[in-house]
Amino acid sequence: MSFKSRSEVYDNPFGLPEQWVFNNYSGALEKFNFLRYLSNSLIYSVSTIIITIFLGSMLAYCLSRMNWKFKGFAMSYISMGLVVPAQVVIIPLLIMTRNMGLKGTHLGLILPYSAFALSSCVLMLYAFFRGLPKELEEAACIDGCNIYQTYFRIILPVIKPAIATQCVLIFMNIYNEFFLAFILAADDKIRPLTVGLLNFFVSIGVSHWGQIGAAMIITSLPMIMVYMFGNEQIENALTAGAILK
Amino acid sequence: MNKFYGNKLAIFIFSFPALLLFTAFVIYPLFPEILISFQKNDGFKSMGYVGFENYFNVLRDPTFWKSNVNTFTIVLISTCMGLPISLLLALIMDRQGERVKRFFKASSVFPAILSVTVIAQMWIAIYEPQWGLINSMLRGIGLDGLAMEWLSDERTVVLAITAAFLWQYIGLNALLFYTGIKAIPKTYYEAAVIDGAGFFRTSLKITIPLLQDVSKYVLVLSVLGSMSQFAHVRIMTAGGPGDVSRTVIYQLYYKAFSASDFGQGCAIAIIFVLECLVLTVFINKFVAREKVEF
Repeated sequence: MSFKSRSEVYDNPFGLPEQWVFNNYSGALEKFNFLRYLSNSLIYSVSTIIITIFLGSMLAYCLSRMNWKFKGFAMSYISMGLVVPAQVVIIPLLIMTRNMGLKGTHLGLILPYSAFALSSCVLMLYAFFRGLPKELEEAACIDGCNIYQTYFRIILPVIKPAIATQCVLIFMNIYNEFFLAFILAADDKIRPLTVGLLNFFVSIGVSHWGQIGAAMIITSLPMIMVYMFGNEQIENALTAGAILK
Repeated sequence: MNKFYGNKLAIFIFSFPALLLFTAFVIYPLFPEILISFQKNDGFKSMGYVGFENYFNVLRDPTFWKSNVNTFTIVLISTCMGLPISLLLALIMDRQGERVKRFFKASSVFPAILSVTVIAQMWIAIYEPQWGLINSMLRGIGLDGLAMEWLSDERTVVLAITAAFLWQYIGLNALLFYTGIKAIPKTYYEAAVIDGAGFFRTSLKITIPLLQDVSKYVLVLSVLGSMSQFAHVRIMTAGGPGDVSRTVIYQLYYKAFSASDFGQGCAIAIIFVLECLVLTVFINKFVAREKVEF
């Protein structure tokens, strides 16, 4: 469809195009700021991954290994995040980002994304830490490492597989997130692909199916490529939650 | 080791940043939300407290009830039709050879990783009244009378959106079920084969009961996911025609951001949280109460 002229879509929607038309792609790229939206999407997903995994793994480690009074409370507190859907708090979130001066910046989306990704990340890594033998840290302790060195040099490398799984999960969630981005990213400069694409569809009107098809293909290409190289990883990550429990 | 694990400063450094971020953006917003739900608020400033007026207005609004009906239609269809189909697909997938399995797996995840916007737009093309796939097929087999404007007809619009939503996640759910099936030890099946049980008996008597934990997980995911359905509705119909296909979240969005009534928006949000809580408690109480151990 993306190779057909505007009128041919209507006369012959399914067959191969009679005339291969490539200007749909150039036309779409002209009006559809693909690279900007793509880079925004990547900024959101990568920063969320970094923040969530860095903070989440530390909290998970702290919950599973260290001795402190409010451990049980903190555990149930963080689990509450699984029950509160992000959509529900959208109104206070909007007001908060406005008051904190984060409106119109990438940070205004990254921070809520990370906060909402924390719960499942912490719970999953917590389960993983529980399975690690304590001898790891004992050995490190005897060798004179302090807790920070032990954590960053010994523990983190050991849980790499779990971290990789979390990376995939968070990436998929954030890259395809729609609702928060739709409302919090009001400025075109910071819109991610999902929302930017919708705006493109709305702006060119419903009849221009050639260009719509072209934009759809362009948007899907990065994901398709990522999927071709890492499909096994992605499948394992997506199903990790089901058997971990 | 006690000094190691009991290091107060380390505990603080490890736990505080995450808890702070979580509190600031997940838990704290619930408080202003409750406050605003009792205010008259246009999104920029509060115009005083009005008691339960927002809640009364929401509950008196027929559109809110319609949006609830739509949401629960989507939830019901995706749990009562979508999940059994996924389960069946998973059971069939388990019986296939390695290459078919690979193909099955790859194609089941694929729709879920594509952007919602792309999927929804693709379904708009499928439902297109003049040359869309469905109407062309109907005309092709001579059922011209059945060809209709799926997304502008109030009888079909919610079902049409649900179909698109289901299609995107049916494969992913099947894959989740399949992972659960793979975790069941093979010895159970060997015993069943010796007793002469076929595909249906084995599935009904062994696989499905042992799949409880995974089923519960998929059920919760699917119920909460379809409860908060927004993107497909926004892209495919924008709640239209009129207000026929709005979901609860869409109604929240409409009240808060199109009608600039943050008070009613927050009231809807609070009611919605309660609905979700009731559903979660219900599922936890009645589904898979005992853990399956192999």
